[in-house]
Amino acid sequence: MKPMTKDNAVDIEKELNLSNGNVSKGVNSVKLSQDEVKISAKDVRVKYGEKEALFGINLDMPKGKVTSFIGPSGCGKSTFLRCLNRMNDTIDGCSVTGQIIVDEVDILSKQVDTVLLRAKIGMVFQKPNPFPKSIYDNVAYGPRLHGLATDKNELDEIVEISLEKVGLLKEVKDRLLEPGTGLSGGQQQRLCIARAIAVDPEILLMDEPCSALDPIATAKIEELIDELRGSYTIVIVTHSMQQAARVSQQTAFFHLGNLVEYGETEKIFTSPVDERTKGYITGRFG
Amino acid sequence: MTELKESMQKAHARLKKRRAAEKRFKMFGVGALAFAFLCVLMLFTSIISNGYTGFKQSYIQLDVVMDETVVDPDGSRDPAKMMFSNYNALVKTALKTKFPDVTNRRDKRKLYGLISSSAGYDLRDMVLDDPSIIGTTQTVWVMASDEVDMLIKGVFDRTQPESTRPITNDEIAWVETLEKENRVEKRFNTNFFTAGDSREPEQAGIQGALVGSALTMLVTLALSFPLGVMAAIYLEEFAPKNKFTYLVEVNINNLAAVPSIVFGLLGLAIFLNLFGMPRSAPVAGGMVLALMTLPTIIIAARAALKSIPPSIMEAAIGVGASKMQAVFHHQLPLALPGILTGTIIGMAQALGETAPLLMIGMVAFIADVPSTPFDPATVLPVQVYLWADSPERAFVEKTSAAIMVLLGFLITMNALAVLLRKKLERRW
Repeated sequence: MKPMTKDNAVDIEKELNLSNGNVSKGVNSVKLSQDEVKISAKDVRVKYGEKEALFGINLDMPKGKVTSFIGPSGCGKSTFLRCLNRMNDTIDGCSVTGQIIVDEVDILSKQVDTVLLRAKIGMVFQKPNPFPKSIYDNVAYGPRLHGLATDKNELDEIVEISLEKVGLLKEVKDRLLEPGTGLSGGQQQRLCIARAIAVDPEILLMDEPCSALDPIATAKIEELIDELRGSYTIVIVTHSMQQAARVSQQTAFFHLGNLVEYGETEKIFTSPVDERTKGYITGRFG
Repeated sequence: MTELKESMQKAHARLKKRRAAEKRFKMFGVGALAFAFLCVLMLFTSIISNGYTGFKQSYIQLDVVMDETVVDPDGSRDPAKMMFSNYNALVKTALKTKFPDVTNRRDKRKLYGLISSSAGYDLRDMVLDDPSIIGTTQTVWVMASDEVDMLIKGVFDRTQPESTRPITNDEIAWVETLEKENRVEKRFNTNFFTAGDSREPEQAGIQGALVGSALTMLVTLALSFPLGVMAAIYLEEFAPKNKFTYLVEVNINNLAAVPSIVFGLLGLAIFLNLFGMPRSAPVAGGMVLALMTLPTIIIAARAALKSIPPSIMEAAIGVGASKMQAVFHHQLPLALPGILTGTIIGMAQALGETAPLLMIGMVAFIADVPSTPFDPATVLPVQVYLWADSPERAFVEKTSAAIMVLLGFLITMNALAVLLRKKLERRW
């Protein structure tokens, strides 16, 4: 097991005397009651072919709150996020084991229909990826797929509400039929969020949603995440520790395929327990 | 300090060398381009200079007496009977009266040879159209025979000694007499576009080959486009990446490089001999060409599908589209310009293909214009091949003219592909 990505990570490993495979069990300081938990991962392991990417993740994410995953590149945080809506199914040679319980259903089981699952668990990607279609069609695509609207008026309403929720309606009201790709990067990303919430999901997964955006657009997205919290359970992967601190209530720190530390955001950033977490958030590696 | 200077000087010298190398490379490029352009220019000059006369045809004016004893001997005016009258005799009589001093049997034969054998049919059509002209004298323009046509167009040199030229002094004298009386005219050769093949060059046209090509292309397109696109979609989006699909992939790429005549042999063995499909028919030709075009379309379609950013697919799957929905709603429409371009280029290649069609008998001499894909037919490139093989001098210009028509179609198709790509290309 040596999927190292950065030399300084190796250094810190050595320094902490952990590179001999003697990885300590993750610290989990979040205690949730049964009905607070929305997503509960139990011993989730991911393999890409022969290469192991995740070594047994146990993590409970609370309902109506924002949980953020941080960690250096290649630590498995995105991989874990993609397990949450079975997006890894689309990757050849990727196998996922363990359990992820959402509303008392193990979503990793073969019986679960991924199409319905992904309607329930929406996803926003790193790079804004609107369809090269009109703004309207972008948002209306999901509802059309799942037959959420019975007529045109209803569909119009869904599109309008979704755009309103992401604060885009005012900006694009007069050009709903223009291509979504013509919007600015930040607007595109908000359009993608509108597209995801148009199918009325319960959970929103965001994979570094701001990494391709400028600070102002980022601020808008963060504001939006804060507004959406409550109505949706949000899980966000981010490279920016400041962002994690700003938007999330819980933070999980991943390193080399392990969950190192999981706790209240404030606690993680002020008094981390694990040496590696401390090293990462103080900028010694990452 | 001096060391630094030295290294600077060295760097300077190297820079000079680098610049020179760059200049040389550019010159090679320009040179290669110029050479290629020259070759194309030569090719086109040769084809056009040989072929443009093929679009013209010489006509000779004759005063034909519509003799009732020849046209309608029993006076019944029955079209069914008048169909089979000897109209060529009218032409011969007209020529005889025009040149009364030709009495020798052999000379007479030569005299009659000035006019195309199709003249009789023209007269018949005139009579059947309007029977009231029987008994009158009509001034008609009839097609000159191929050799006279060549003479009038200046292909045969009149100053050459008689023994080395394919046309005799007598014939030249007759034609010159006609020319003096303004009874000779070069007109646009509509016959070239409306007639099927013929053994007589002046009567030969490309319509049979054009229709044959169109029918063949139709069959090819109807088979290879849906099959190719579906295969590409399956291989690119759905097939598991294992040894078997890898094998399929390698074989598709190999198929694209198989000599086309091999496809012809396969068509002969399977389609004709095993399935008993009609010989020389566009349906069999189209199937053979479809086999040949299939790899081109599959490869182009796969490349087009691959060029669509995976984020589009992820986005669709992320909102709960099934894989098929994601492919058909997003991937395919976005890849369509590329797929169409590849298809058109594949079709253009098939349109210009000769070798495999020779194998399934499309090289036969077929004078009729086909009306269904099951009729015997030939195609444009095979027509070019057939005419290029014919001994008559007049077929040279026909060959080049047919090539020009073929090239016209190919250039149009390729231009269409470029246009389509420009027009439908979407950016994201």
